Amino acid sequence: MSVHTRIEGLGARAIAASHAGARLFVIGAKSLRGVFDRDYPKGEVARQMYVVGNKSLLFIAITMGFLGMVMVIQSGHQLNRVTGDLSQLGPQFLKLFIQEFAPTITALMLSTRVGAGIAAEVGSMKVTEQIDALRLSGITPTSYLIAPRLLACLSMGSILTVIAIVIAFTAGGISAWSVFGLNPTAFFDSSMVRTYDIVIGSVKALSYSLAIPIISGFCGLEARGGSEGVGTATTSAVIGSSFAVLLLDFMISGIGLMVFGGGV
Amino acid sequence: MLGDVTISAIGRGTLFAWRELGGITILAGQVLRALLPPRLDGPELFRNLYRMGNRSLPIIALTAFFVGGIMVIQAGVLVKQLNAAGLVGWGAGYAIFREVGPMLIALMFSGRVGSNNTAELATMTVTEQLDGLRALAIDPIPYLVVPRVIAMTVSLLCLVVLGNLIALYGGAFFAMFLLDLEFSTLYYSLVDNIGWLDFVHGAIKAAVFGSAIAMTSCYFGISVRGGAVGVGKAVNAAVVAAAISIVTLDFLLTAVLP
Amino acid sequence: MTSSATPSSLIEFRDVHKAFGAKRILQGLTMEVGRQEVFFIIGTSGVGKSVTIKHLIGLLRVDQGEIHFDGERIDNLSEKHFYPVRKRIGMVFQHATLFDSMSLRENVALPLRKHQGLGTKEALAKSDELLERVHMGNFAHSSPATLSDGMKKRAAIARTLAMEPQVVLFDEPTTGLDPVNARRIDRLIRELSDDLGVTSIVVSHDLPSIFGIADRITFIYQGKAYKSGTRQDFEQSGDPIVRQFISGNSHGPMETPGF
Repeated sequence: MSVHTRIEGLGARAIAASHAGARLFVIGAKSLRGVFDRDYPKGEVARQMYVVGNKSLLFIAITMGFLGMVMVIQSGHQLNRVTGDLSQLGPQFLKLFIQEFAPTITALMLSTRVGAGIAAEVGSMKVTEQIDALRLSGITPTSYLIAPRLLACLSMGSILTVIAIVIAFTAGGISAWSVFGLNPTAFFDSSMVRTYDIVIGSVKALSYSLAIPIISGFCGLEARGGSEGVGTATTSAVIGSSFAVLLLDFMISGIGLMVFGGGV
Repeated sequence: MLGDVTISAIGRGTLFAWRELGGITILAGQVLRALLPPRLDGPELFRNLYRMGNRSLPIIALTAFFVGGIMVIQAGVLVKQLNAAGLVGWGAGYAIFREVGPMLIALMFSGRVGSNNTAELATMTVTEQLDGLRALAIDPIPYLVVPRVIAMTVSLLCLVVLGNLIALYGGAFFAMFLLDLEFSTLYYSLVDNIGWLDFVHGAIKAAVFGSAIAMTSCYFGISVRGGAVGVGKAVNAAVVAAAISIVTLDFLLTAVLP
Repeated sequence: MTSSATPSSLIEFRDVHKAFGAKRILQGLTMEVGRQEVFFIIGTSGVGKSVTIKHLIGLLRVDQGEIHFDGERIDNLSEKHFYPVRKRIGMVFQHATLFDSMSLRENVALPLRKHQGLGTKEALAKSDELLERVHMGNFAHSSPATLSDGMKKRAAIARTLAMEPQVVLFDEPTTGLDPVNARRIDRLIRELSDDLGVTSIVVSHDLPSIFGIADRITFIYQGKAYKSGTRQDFEQSGDPIVRQFISGNSHGPMETPGF
């Protein structure tokens, strides 16, 4: 009996998950169409851009600054142990940050900061029946609410990623100089960066910026039952978008390696 | 004009950050005092340990698996450049044990367990359940906060140790699949170059991150104000504070630890 | 009634002031509560009735004035030293504040485990007894979320009784309940006093409850104890403000914020 009910339970969960996946897909498609319908209030995109950028700038600056320093110190120690040659530290660091760490860590931070915010906002509207009120007045919530947030995330996500690279590279260079006495001209060297790295980094940043608002908006629209429902929506938005970021990172890097041979 | 607004916003932000930092420090002091001698509720500790570990295990395992894959792909680029297959196990293992494993797993743990904990404590606070505890002459710090701090520290430590293993196996899987490397090449590259110190380095980080996530998530939970909207804001503030603490502590620990 | 402390008085407020920011709530409240009384604090909403009793268990602190409990000054105790007082003064909150994550019997067992030194099994057995006393025995295993407000309040009373307190504070125990359930709560409060010798302080504006079970009453108006006395004193009072309150008339001399 217990095995049987367990299998049934698993099956029911799988079905529920695939239904949720289908709803997520529909909401994503509708939000993208909403971008072209332009069915949102005037100035809403600018307002959301301000919210996304302003809320996250200091946060991303702090985290990326520290991350840049940590990465340089860790890899510098290791290089010192093995080869003692630090001349490649800066160029390789920049390459790795452009195509991997800057977009991914920025997106993880945006998931906690912006994703949670979107889910809390949309979720509160859902449980207080404001979403239903929108529908009754003939407005599609996806075009009205999610589309402007999507545009804001796309633009600010890219800008923040660039800022993240600059801050991490600068902080890394300063700590390479102060910890290992490495000459800044040797560190600040972009000769290793190929077009491939920039393309992969941009593709990542854009895909993350698409995934975060769609997943968070979806979690908000699925919220149910009072303040507890809003809490659940916020939590699942954070974890859902963070996981999506890591999965996309893996997939894009994997495709890059398999199809383009890692740009080598 | 705009400059003024920005400066005053930064000023306000800084003041706010100092106030929260002070609040978290005071709470940490109270938690430490409650631990000497240990005064905490056994059933509450085991309930939290089970819940937190159990709830986050699947997502952490999946995360770790893919993180292993990502590390190997990055290492793979270097392998093709330098033709150094013997370095993949070492590079991926070193990065996973010391940096990427503890940090990414801690960020996911904060999103899953930390935010849940904040939401729960915040709901209890706004519905006066914390005053209810005090009225029963039960101090909320040893009863509610201390078991959670211990549970989060212990469960993140265990999850990172386990997650590191999964990441290494994930990495090995993808290295064999994507880079056509032999398992034995990876294995000897890892065990020849990675020592206990690398493992301990990451484990200490995990424990510190766990208690930092616990402190921030409990602090924002019990100091919440203003009903249901406040609960959402508290969760948001808690995950952000946890992320900042993780990154800054990572830096400090990297500098201090061998 | 005398103004100085009589040996029979258990709790005494002396010229207590309390403000929240610019909002002055208590402005020189003075009152006494006798042993084993059912003592009512009445007044309109927002006048500071709940604020008053929260001072007794240290959830709020006075700005000025003194509070004495059983011959001891308690308003200046530190948070740590308030815990012994909280073991002697229990409180039933307006919204019951049962812990959501526990069943009713686990809720009641918590103070038993913490303060009476009982093991989990004994504590649960004793909590079943206490729930039986408030006629909630059949719901011992239910979660608070599934119960009505009246049931939650009765369970909260059982949880407070588990402390074996000398004094129980009730914050609007009958507000939001239907008349039948409200009278059941009233009867429970009366029984605690008559059978167990508990002193009860009840915050209320529920007239049937006030005139049903009160031994003595203090009417708070404009931050002070406007009138204190027995039920009969209030029923026979000729004071226009007291008359307006107990007749529930919207017109009269009483000044309330917003009118």
